Amino acid sequence: MMEEAAVSAAAAPPKAASGLRGVWAFVRASWLNALAVTIVTIVVLLAVFGPFLLGSKGNTADFANILQGPSASHWMGTDNVGRDLFARVVAGARISLTSAAVIVLLAAPFGCLLGILAGMVGGWVDEVLMRFTDLFFAFPAFVLAAAIAATLGPSLQHTILAVAIVYWPWYARLARSQVLTLREREFVLAARVSGSSTTGIVARHMVRNVLPIVAIQMSADAGNAILSISALSFLGLGAQPPTPEWGTMMAGAQDYLQTAWWFLTFPGLTLTFTVLGFNLLGDGLRDWIDPRLRGVLRGGRV
Amino acid sequence: MTGEPLLSVQDLVVRFDTPQGEVHAVNGVSLDVGAGETVGLVGESGSGKSVTSLAVMGLLPAPAGRVASGRIAFDGNDLIGLPERDLRKLRGKDVSMVFQDPMSSLNPVITIGEQVTEILRAHEQVSKADARTRAADLLRRVGIPNAAEQLGRFPHQFSGGMRQRVMIAMALALHPRLLIADEPTTALDVTIQAQVLELLVALTTDLETALLLISHDLGIMARVARRIAVMYAGFVMETAPTTELFAAPRHPYTVGLLNSVPAIDDRGKELRPIEGAPPDLEEAPVGCPFAPRCAWRVEACWTTMPPLRPVSAGPDASGVDHSAACHNPVRADEVRGAAPLRPGFVPAPPPSAPASATTEAPA
Repeated sequence: MMEEAAVSAAAAPPKAASGLRGVWAFVRASWLNALAVTIVTIVVLLAVFGPFLLGSKGNTADFANILQGPSASHWMGTDNVGRDLFARVVAGARISLTSAAVIVLLAAPFGCLLGILAGMVGGWVDEVLMRFTDLFFAFPAFVLAAAIAATLGPSLQHTILAVAIVYWPWYARLARSQVLTLREREFVLAARVSGSSTTGIVARHMVRNVLPIVAIQMSADAGNAILSISALSFLGLGAQPPTPEWGTMMAGAQDYLQTAWWFLTFPGLTLTFTVLGFNLLGDGLRDWIDPRLRGVLRGGRV
Repeated sequence: MTGEPLLSVQDLVVRFDTPQGEVHAVNGVSLDVGAGETVGLVGESGSGKSVTSLAVMGLLPAPAGRVASGRIAFDGNDLIGLPERDLRKLRGKDVSMVFQDPMSSLNPVITIGEQVTEILRAHEQVSKADARTRAADLLRRVGIPNAAEQLGRFPHQFSGGMRQRVMIAMALALHPRLLIADEPTTALDVTIQAQVLELLVALTTDLETALLLISHDLGIMARVARRIAVMYAGFVMETAPTTELFAAPRHPYTVGLLNSVPAIDDRGKELRPIEGAPPDLEEAPVGCPFAPRCAWRVEACWTTMPPLRPVSAGPDASGVDHSAACHNPVRADEVRGAAPLRPGFVPAPPPSAPASATTEAPA
């Protein structure tokens, strides 16, 4: 049952599997987990250290080396103004990861706050908040994000905001459903009997039980967020050239598909693998913590 | 009885509003618990024992549950209608509670130490270090070995008995004056039940905490409670000192209850269960709820629920009297056979048309 799953999820491996040992246990559980951790680790390392190592290579035009194929000096070739594609893809990793982090860190706390509020207070507050989130579910998320981004005006920041706005209702729904089952649990009654206040109960019992599930959702959403940002940028609503954002790069590469396959292929493949990595990570975490959560949390979504 | 008892419940009526209609969970409970006294509340599932205790704590599930009428006084102060803030100060500090299932009463993702300190920090300004020291002391007091090390562990690393010890430690942390224990040993292994019960009694005696023990287990009651109240379908049917209740029950339901407990010297004899089933609580009670199952019933039983009134000659030596809510109390010689021994007595048939039944004025 879903209610049971939520709590036993939190109950399963709480602190016993912490730190590196926990990661190792997770990796050994399935080869998909190993793949997910590998991809995410590589992307994160590239995003953090890559730009330091590659310097300004990705921003320097070199008209003597326009549209060169992959070679020892340019691993992914060069683009239409001779910039090193590998350096730009690496720089793009930093942009994508930062955007995704900002999106989930905006959407998750806001959504959880409203969801917990709705679940705890109930009554008309619950009704109003949930009907409000229904408004968001009534539109296809991506179309809504595109509409918001277009209204705000094309820029990376506006796109991030737009995606966060369409993501938070999922967290509100998730948190609310968890709170509704948690509040009927006996330990909440026991806490009340001890004289704990409602805020104390929310902070101690609700948040702590909801957190692992929200964390899994956030890791799965990171991949979706990266994809959404790139897609919006590809459409011209997000990052603007010459920003080395993957979607923006691919939009610029469209015209050269016939003559320079690498120009579009490498940013595209990087994007695909990154999104795949995060989605696998989210699915893996969910199954690892509790397979019964499959119905509660959603998988890949655009 | 001299002075006001610590806890006084009078004519408590609790209703639940459900989509299926009103549930008559508690229909009229009167119950006193004196300071330091151990009182047992016995009855089968659905008789309103737990709802009564939740009503005392002011924790009826909102918004469905509500106290429809009656009075609950703690130490002379009326609890019904008290603002939540004041109730919260009372909970845990003056009145505490232990639940049936220690696994679900502990939050699985929070350490034992943090859960024990929660009650301290809800009521007092204590530093983290102080709280931990006190938590370790509390665990030691309930017989948990290596208490200081156990603080960092999680509930699933404890056995059922240990978890219930933790719950008891928490409940008694602030030396409450009343502890309500709702089936505290029901979820435990039989071998552990006695230990936990002993602990509960020893500690409450030690701290001079009054204990309201809720159970369906008459064996536990016989060992622990000084006085017992028997509940059925939301009413208190009989209340008496423990020894007297077992020796000379006056209410037919109590007689039935005692006769359905297997005793070692009755081996080979048939058990005598009470015929029929408890009433549907969704229907408003008319008359005595036990009447349809009762062999002693008279005509009045179908129409009027009698109030609790003294049935023995007078208060016994300890100053607690014996009362029963019955029109036709059981005689001492009828207890063993669980049937009326009166020539020509026939249980009154149900009134043919309930609507036309003449309603007797309540006594």
